[in-house]
Amino acid sequence: MIVLAAIKLVVIVRGIPIYLDSAESFAFVVVVPLTATFTYFLAMFTFGLDGDLAARQSMFPARRLTLPVTTTALAGWPMIYGSATIGLLWLATRAFALWPSGFAIPTIWPALLAVSLLAWTQALTWMPYPLPGLRIVVVVVWLSAIDAIVLLALTFHARELLMVAIIAPQIPLAYVVARLAVARARRGDVPDWRGAFASLARVGHTDARAGRHFSSPAAAQTWFEWRRHGWSLPTWVAIVLPFELVLLWVVGASRSLLLTILVGIFLTPPFIATFAAAAVSKSNSDRGDSNGVAPFVATRPLSSTELVAAKLKMAIGSTVVAWLLVLITVPIALKLSGTSALVLDTWHHVRVFMGMPRAVVLLLLILAGCIAATWTQLVQGLFIGLTGRASLIKASVFLVLGFFVLFGPFLDWITDSGRLGVVWSALPLIFGVLVAAKMTAAVWIGLRLYGKRLLKDRTLVAGAASWCVAVFALYGVLVWMLDTPHIPHYLLMLVAILTIPLVRVSAAPVALSWNRHR
Amino acid sequence: MTHETTPVIDINNLTRRFDSKTALASVTLSLPRGGVYGLVGTNGAGKTTLIKHILGLLKAQTGSVRVFGLDPVDDPVGVLSRIGYLSEENDLPGWMRVDELIRYSRAFHPAWDDDYAEELRQSFALDPAAKIRNLSKGQKARVGILIALAYRPDLLVLDEPSSGLDPIVRRDILGAIIRTIAHEGRTVLFSSHLLEEVEQVADHVTMIDHGKVVLSAPLADIREAHRVDGRIPSLDEIFIARVGVSPATAVEV
Repeated sequence: MIVLAAIKLVVIVRGIPIYLDSAESFAFVVVVPLTATFTYFLAMFTFGLDGDLAARQSMFPARRLTLPVTTTALAGWPMIYGSATIGLLWLATRAFALWPSGFAIPTIWPALLAVSLLAWTQALTWMPYPLPGLRIVVVVVWLSAIDAIVLLALTFHARELLMVAIIAPQIPLAYVVARLAVARARRGDVPDWRGAFASLARVGHTDARAGRHFSSPAAAQTWFEWRRHGWSLPTWVAIVLPFELVLLWVVGASRSLLLTILVGIFLTPPFIATFAAAAVSKSNSDRGDSNGVAPFVATRPLSSTELVAAKLKMAIGSTVVAWLLVLITVPIALKLSGTSALVLDTWHHVRVFMGMPRAVVLLLLILAGCIAATWTQLVQGLFIGLTGRASLIKASVFLVLGFFVLFGPFLDWITDSGRLGVVWSALPLIFGVLVAAKMTAAVWIGLRLYGKRLLKDRTLVAGAASWCVAVFALYGVLVWMLDTPHIPHYLLMLVAILTIPLVRVSAAPVALSWNRHR
Repeated sequence: MTHETTPVIDINNLTRRFDSKTALASVTLSLPRGGVYGLVGTNGAGKTTLIKHILGLLKAQTGSVRVFGLDPVDDPVGVLSRIGYLSEENDLPGWMRVDELIRYSRAFHPAWDDDYAEELRQSFALDPAAKIRNLSKGQKARVGILIALAYRPDLLVLDEPSSGLDPIVRRDILGAIIRTIAHEGRTVLFSSHLLEEVEQVADHVTMIDHGKVVLSAPLADIREAHRVDGRIPSLDEIFIARVGVSPATAVEV
């Protein structure tokens, strides 16, 4: 927010206008930075960055439970700090992001809503649950219900006083629930309903015990990673997807609304993957307070590359399962909701416009892009997380937040000041610089991998060759798809080079090795 | 130097600093094959830091570390596949069941002995269906011993294995050490501040204090050298004479 305020001041002092009259500019300047910061605060004040969201046990840090303070103070102070911070976040956004646009944005109830959402998230994440994974369901359902009530009130143009009356009572209620949650966590009171599912568990257990031995150490490590993180993404997608699919029943004959919903559905797995990646990229996910590699993992007789490879394979499996969910449920929902005819009609239009082969390739390209983006989101943070250096990890978080904060106003400035043409002309240069940076980093990483013997020579060459094949394949498709004199082929080559992941994924073994052998 | 005569652990002039604190100062140590080596010292003396270097979890800032003639940082697979390790923290994954952990650990060691693992599991009365996180500290230590022993490693490294455990579990750990050395040529490195335990099983004792090796010799020689008026002092008494404080009572400040 400080960065946002500083930018805003610079922008205003220099007299650069920012117009918030379009949805895009409003989203870029206000919504994206606010959401990114709010999400980070939410994770921080619920201690969600340290705990296991799917566990039955409370996510309240165990070591704090023994502090010589009352339960009310123990639960209350993080909530008060959180509420104050979130409230200030809104007020700062209100002051720095919207001023001096003259927009009539309410001040009180959005702040109360933000505080209420945080308070409920704290209460519900600190509560012990009788079943693993139940916390995620309860949190999502409860927060969605609050959102739905607020949206309903807005739809009927409720006055600010009514909005305050709806939201304000929830805050003390959430505090009471949070105190109860921490009290139960302090007593070690974790209800257990797993007995009710004992027969199912026994079946699973028999299967596991009857399971054959692992074919290799790498297979065992992949299983380990899968059990640790593999189900996170599919579970989250399974929770969110029904809410999105239900929207298909309210589409009616609106083609644009249908396409918006479908785009939202297809962006859900990569979006959720960005959050699931936080756990995947931690070098010690069993101990939230430690960034070093857990000795149990560090002493596996595997190279750092094999340890990273297990994570990459797990991410592939996780991505496949998540996308199977999407690809199976979406056609069924389209059929049942009666919107399949609208989709087929849209497809017919695209086919007529582009021709059958290009339309099919475009569809496959979009699908492959979304699937690849999901996997990339899961693994691209490994090279930061696996370093185990808290300062690097925090710096990267702030860098991303800073990017979100800067990107909106920058894009808005380019659009509004009529410099779009200049940027378009400079695109080859920009891409050229980015490609040069990427290839320089790749060479440096390659030398480190070779020098530290983290990869066998053959694997290094095979990896580089595979990457080249992928780049040329994408380049070929792009040239065929965008056969126009307006876009030079070398630009498409630069796009292909920038699109196919290389540096961040290949840097992960170097990062882990740095952390593992300190 | 042949394979047989290569020291299992060969540390030369190893120094390690954490910021301004010197954790290890010019440590030189050579452990030949076979026997039980006790590494004793107060809390914070540098025992765990030394063991972490042996496992390759810390990289030598100055000096060198060789295990089986290999650098544990450059060749973690070559070194770790021959080491059985029980850590002080005992950070076994709590979400695994005992049988899953056995199946998982088995995959890393071709020499894994299923019969021996089962024998250990039964003698330790471990329920294969139990989740690790639900086990007591002593049971977790037993599981740790099981997976460290079942492939009969060339080198068994135990870092303060008895810390906070009851006498029965400590007996199991000492039993594990005895089982290991029953196999000729195998080596045990056993770090502890409970000197009476070390005294029971160690052939050779290395005393470490403030990151420096103050004494390293066969136990029998140490006792003989400290004999006073025909009385052989205990290892604890010898340690106090050398360092000025008993490792069992010293508290790290």
